[in-house]
Amino acid sequence: MLYVAYGLFIVTLVLVSYVLGAFDLLPYDPQQINMELMMAPPASEGHVFGTDFMGRDIQSRLIMGIQAYFLPGLLAISISLTGGIILGVLSGYWGGRIETVITYLNNLVDSFPRLVLILLVIAAFKPDIYYIMVVMGITGVPTVATAIANKIRFLIQKSFIEAAIALGLRTQTIILKHILWYNCRALLIIQATLGMGEAILLETSLSYLGFGVQEPVPSWGNMVQSGANYFLQGNFWPSTAPALAILLTILGFNLLGDGLNNILEDRRGK
Amino acid sequence: MSQLIRPLLKIENLRTYFYARSKQSFVRAVDGVSLEVGQRETVGVVGESGSGKSIAAMSVMGLISAGPGVIGGQIYFSSPRVQRNLLDGLGNYVKIKEENSRVMEVRKDRAGWQKASDKLMGDLRGREIAMIFQNPRASLNPFITIGEQITESIRLHTGLKSVKEAKERAIYWLEQVKIDSPRLRFNAYPSAMSGGMCQRAMIAMALSSEPALLIADEPTTGLDATIQSKIVDLIEELKSETGISTLLISHDISVISRLSDRVAVMYGGAVVEYGPSKLLLDMGEATKHPYTAALLASVPSEQKIRDRANLQTIEGDVLDTINVPSGCRFYARCNKVTPEIKEKCISQHPELREVSPGHQMRCWRY
Repeated sequence: MLYVAYGLFIVTLVLVSYVLGAFDLLPYDPQQINMELMMAPPASEGHVFGTDFMGRDIQSRLIMGIQAYFLPGLLAISISLTGGIILGVLSGYWGGRIETVITYLNNLVDSFPRLVLILLVIAAFKPDIYYIMVVMGITGVPTVATAIANKIRFLIQKSFIEAAIALGLRTQTIILKHILWYNCRALLIIQATLGMGEAILLETSLSYLGFGVQEPVPSWGNMVQSGANYFLQGNFWPSTAPALAILLTILGFNLLGDGLNNILEDRRGK
Repeated sequence: MSQLIRPLLKIENLRTYFYARSKQSFVRAVDGVSLEVGQRETVGVVGESGSGKSIAAMSVMGLISAGPGVIGGQIYFSSPRVQRNLLDGLGNYVKIKEENSRVMEVRKDRAGWQKASDKLMGDLRGREIAMIFQNPRASLNPFITIGEQITESIRLHTGLKSVKEAKERAIYWLEQVKIDSPRLRFNAYPSAMSGGMCQRAMIAMALSSEPALLIADEPTTGLDATIQSKIVDLIEELKSETGISTLLISHDISVISRLSDRVAVMYGGAVVEYGPSKLLLDMGEATKHPYTAALLASVPSEQKIRDRANLQTIEGDVLDTINVPSGCRFYARCNKVTPEIKEKCISQHPELREVSPGHQMRCWRY
């Protein structure tokens, strides 16, 4: 339960920060350059986490940085969940030829390195976080589809699906209510929280390569990247603060997903 | 003919085949079964594992998912509300190539069949025909409380659409199946209940829509012996209260003999004997099919236990339903073959013939 509480705390913090960022309720303008206060260490006057090499407030930039992930991350999750559920149900419930086609599609997407695909898309269009997240969503579909299909195949062996058909329930009721809602929601929550963590990590990797969110708009990835140049000079905070934020946020999302999964799984045991 | 005299369920020449592993041959799981369940009557289907009794029941419900599945026959259902052939027009989806009255090749449009079958069955499943399964715990959704599952069935099939009314009705049915403290159990998950209680809940769910026919597929299998007899008591009591017709499938002769009015004995996908339960299941040496006689001889009775007699076994293996012999299916294991009829037993499959009024048998001896 402690884990869930921690996860919930982090996720709430992220949500609050998102709202603060969206309404511009920040201590400083995250893009305002202040040459007199470059590389102020953490806990210096007015700047809790210090300032970076251009004197910009790191706390404000951290809060603003969530803007880069939140909606795009949700977009990626909803694409992979929607696609994964549809393909997973088709392949798991009806099987046959549909299943073969979906397995081949999954293998095709899986065999292509995700980062290469994203770099291709960036090269073809522009380095926009939404393009990246759409690609991430689509490449996430096979994982979700396979998980759902396997779960459904496992459930169908149990006779309650057969019993539900014999009871005269409609197919959509069986799939939506008895399979997806009651038996797959824990799995979907896990997939969603993992997806959010993955979205953050992916954006970070791309920003580090210079393809993510572009300066001066802050994102945790480009903050780590620009701060890294000063790391060895002893100014560790401009890169350490966003790195810790990434670490704690991913941990928080995963713990929340895992905890919710345990709570939902436990319900039948009570 | 008046409606009430017509049997509730009349199965004619039902055939359900499955592909053998090679896809070149067939497992003849149900091969020409004809059965009747009259109004307010209980028909027991008995036979060893692999005799096709469960497959026959699943075929009636349209629940066969493996290919090719049901390939022929008629199933007439006539309750006061619905009169219908459950396989009406489905023959159009199947093309059968036969040689010497043996099915050699089946072409079946399974998607079309399933669609048409679901259309015919749509308003019957759960509403007019309810089914209870063996292994009750696996037949309930583990994440939904039993109360909610029963309520769902009631709201789907009866006029009670409001949640509150349906809930009261569900509790009434939980009381009817003698689950103690039904209000408390209403909110229990299946995993929190014993197998016997889950089966009671299944029965409550099946009967809550007040169907005309109940198909009970091995309702006591997998339960502990004392619970088995309590479940049988319960079914017996509910039957006399509601007057529901039942198709009872079991390999347990004691269950069959306690509940059924008529009995069909199945062997190798076909009914070998069909008649009143008193006539078929009494221990005396009345006219009986050799298989029925052998089955009865293998049941322990008080007399046999007192005499410390060895139980009789039926020699040989279950019939290979892929390579069905052309003669009598029971011939290889039959101990009643006489020299005069031996030729016939080997070469010709006996017809189901009436040996006395209401008593039919597939045997060359009678």
